[in-house]
Amino acid sequence: MEALRFGSDGEPAIRRHPAMVSRPVNYTANVSSLRRWTSICLVLLGASVSPGVAQQEASLPQIASAELALPELAAEVLVAQQRRVEAMRKASMATVGVFGLDSQGGGSGVCISPDGYVLTNFHVSSPFGHRMRCGMNDGKMYEAVVAGIDPTGDLAVLKMFGRDDFPTATMGDSDQIRVGQWCFAAGNPFVLATNLQPTVTYGLISGVRRYQYPSGTILEYSDCIQTDASINPGNSGGPLFNVDGELIGINGRCSFEKRGRVNVGVGYAISIKQAMNFYGNLRSGRIVDHATLGFTVATDNQGRVVVSNILESSDAYRRGLRYGDEVLRLGDRDIATANQLKNVLGIFPDYWRVALRYRNEQGVQEAAIRLQSLHQPGELEKIVEGSSEQGAKKAGDTKPAVSKDVLADRYESRRGFGNYYFNRLELERIVKLQESRKPSLATSAADDSVQIRFVGSVLGESTAVEARFDLEKIHWTLGDKTNSVPIKGNWGTWIKNQEPMPIAMAMRLWYQWHEQGPRKLGEVIYIGQSPVLGKQGLLDMTRIVLGEVTAEVYTSVASGDIELIELFTDRQTDPAEVYFDYDAASALAPMPSRVRLQYGLESRLVVDLGKLDTLPVVKTEGVPGVQP
Amino acid sequence: MIDRALSLARLIAAILIVLVFEDPGIFAEDKPRSDVPLGQGSLSGLEELFQSAQRSVVKLYGAGGMRGLESYQSGVVIGDGNTILTSWSTVLDVDKVRVVTYDGRRLDAEVVGVDPECELALLRVENSKLPGFVLEASYQVRPGQRVFSITNLFGIAAGNEACSYQKGVVMAVSDLQSKYTGLRSVYRGKVIVVDVMTNNPGAAGGALVDLGGRLVGVIGKELRDEQSGIWLNYSIPADVAAASVDRILAGKTRSAGASLTMAKNPHKALDLGMVLIPNVIPKTPVYIDRIRKDSLANRAGIQANDLVLLVNDQRVDSQKSFEQILQTIERGDSFQLLLQRGTELLRVQIRP
Repeated sequence: MEALRFGSDGEPAIRRHPAMVSRPVNYTANVSSLRRWTSICLVLLGASVSPGVAQQEASLPQIASAELALPELAAEVLVAQQRRVEAMRKASMATVGVFGLDSQGGGSGVCISPDGYVLTNFHVSSPFGHRMRCGMNDGKMYEAVVAGIDPTGDLAVLKMFGRDDFPTATMGDSDQIRVGQWCFAAGNPFVLATNLQPTVTYGLISGVRRYQYPSGTILEYSDCIQTDASINPGNSGGPLFNVDGELIGINGRCSFEKRGRVNVGVGYAISIKQAMNFYGNLRSGRIVDHATLGFTVATDNQGRVVVSNILESSDAYRRGLRYGDEVLRLGDRDIATANQLKNVLGIFPDYWRVALRYRNEQGVQEAAIRLQSLHQPGELEKIVEGSSEQGAKKAGDTKPAVSKDVLADRYESRRGFGNYYFNRLELERIVKLQESRKPSLATSAADDSVQIRFVGSVLGESTAVEARFDLEKIHWTLGDKTNSVPIKGNWGTWIKNQEPMPIAMAMRLWYQWHEQGPRKLGEVIYIGQSPVLGKQGLLDMTRIVLGEVTAEVYTSVASGDIELIELFTDRQTDPAEVYFDYDAASALAPMPSRVRLQYGLESRLVVDLGKLDTLPVVKTEGVPGVQP
Repeated sequence: MIDRALSLARLIAAILIVLVFEDPGIFAEDKPRSDVPLGQGSLSGLEELFQSAQRSVVKLYGAGGMRGLESYQSGVVIGDGNTILTSWSTVLDVDKVRVVTYDGRRLDAEVVGVDPECELALLRVENSKLPGFVLEASYQVRPGQRVFSITNLFGIAAGNEACSYQKGVVMAVSDLQSKYTGLRSVYRGKVIVVDVMTNNPGAAGGALVDLGGRLVGVIGKELRDEQSGIWLNYSIPADVAAASVDRILAGKTRSAGASLTMAKNPHKALDLGMVLIPNVIPKTPVYIDRIRKDSLANRAGIQANDLVLLVNDQRVDSQKSFEQILQTIERGDSFQLLLQRGTELLRVQIRP
């Protein structure tokens, strides 16, 4: 199986096609020879089709007027055909041709947002570096830059500029597709579409939930869709639609072996479910990573999938999974074979927390486990640098230097990123969301004459709770016991010992985030979108490095409200999870009405908040901080 | 030449278009999916057909895995469910062929017999509990008819994963006349030619079914026209396969009786003047390394590099079985060999 970009790599294979054996090597000649052949085919088809079409058109009005007995099925066929034509017309509008700046080479893509975000393959975008052009079926070329890249899952997100009303594909549900359903691919095979009209090819879903091993690279296709719709070099990155024209996959690979780089009835598409799992992360402009579980499985002699090896540092181990336990379910999928587990795992980005069902001696257990990164820090960057250097060299050979890039301000190089510009963009979006929701206090966090104070009580008890902070310390009072901790440093021990104190740390972060915005808090990176236990859909996740502790802040995509702050000391220890509940009817709104602290999967403390106010700073010795 | 090719292409295109539009079954499945409550396990007719038909296709594993020879192929379960029809290939050159069923079970199969002319082989498994296709000579297809292949091409599916489906249209039902083309195939009989690439690595032995889910053909081996470089996508029709199965089963009955009586003074390969390639593996094929001058074998017209397939219509699957069969033939008796020379099959008579 090979990746399907059409460019200089593809040419030798194209030349192998018997129709082109004697054609010149260079790309334009290939295209023109292809075009000649296509036009011959079109002529042939045209000659044969037209009588049939004329007949159908002639008989249509007859059905209506004279109720002539055309077979009932024929009408059904015509209706189905009309539906298909309409689905393809609509789907073609969102299909994108991806080209280099010199309009050479390339592949396909699909536009999924009106402001011009495009899903494509990493192997399509990587040879172009960060700049490319995208053609749509309005016949126009749009300037585009790369945003995020997923070298392992072969995905990339591009952003087109020039319109705010790009036609978008309708999302389908790739979990609902079954073998035997019809589907069609749209794209730019052999870079034929010089008029930018995509080529549409019709076929069957040949197989679902396929796993395709990396072929000489790290590109891995898991849980992918197999189709016999003709997918060829140049189709890469383009959309696969169901018969209703809903987007179900991103075409990317084919099985070829000995017949040259032309379709032999076996193409593979990344499921749109996987693509959309990664989409939020890809919009962050990062080089995103896939996940590992921290344990491996094998099929035992009774056909059960059992844990054959497990890292004690893994989250799964902390949630109770042990060597020999039987794995039953990951995410929303039952696991019957060891291969299936690997297949399902491939659709999740790292850091996601997914449901795991397993069986040990005590019976069936349900847990949620945090996925670890598949690659070591820096590993993916090296791979990407390698491939883009090659791309840059190639591009340098052929294209004249672009004197002034019109999108120069839409690209920012930074290690670990495909394009850091998009990380700033996403952070700005989140900041904007909560700007209107600043807590109404007549002070700013930079004011050293006042302290900020959250007051409340333990849920269902009379125990009073107070979190108070000034510019130096966080003071935490639970009942009659008060502890203090510097606002920077010494946080780790409290988290490692699973103390209640981190709830106060999170409240301070909550306050600062709303008061100052995230960027003043520390080194901030927008990670993307991840699920949160007990919450619907995906949430925005932003990571802030606060010295020895890293905070991961989950905010609502719609409102920007902080739903969860996780405080990590390292990845081998459970973080302190602090959940915020909001009650629009409460007098506290937009402040949270309830804050809950959790370690692992167990709640540690729930606090009902009563008020948020300020106190003058009292310059006394105070109660010294008691270290646990 | 080009003119002829163009008119042929136009004819095929015309047939396809006309028949595609005539065949209601093709688009009858295109009803809006919204009619079907999603996620409730309801299947359209085609999806249902696919789910049931793929249970009668198995993944086969055996010898190979080097020099472009795959170690896997496909097979169709027929009749009572314990018989598997597949392509006769080097994959089967093992003691037990590994069968993986649609539900992931691993079974061992024995080669019951082979039909060298059709390049088909019959395997037997015990108590498979698999649904079998009805192998019925009257299940025939015409050009323009919609068909589907079910194969494990490229070895994509493993364990309990479903074999792959491909759609196609029958382009021609015709004899494989390899004399006039660059198609070099042992089998030269009737084939069903389809318009899509069904004959990929690992697909041989898979099923070709019609819209009713009936077995209409068995996918043939990969075949490339050496002149044009075009790969032919063909299946052996059900009637040819049915006759072949009958022949294999008949041959099996004969060999069972024959092998019981040992000759008092039997033939030996060396005495016949045949020097075989070194016997290094349990199933070393009976390739002739060289032929001694003035020997019986030489007189019969046997040449170096010939492969012995049958002795008196009994299957020879190894040098060991060759010697065993020879031991049942008296030195004074004449016997027949079926040889493969390149892609030719030829029968020779050894006359002492």
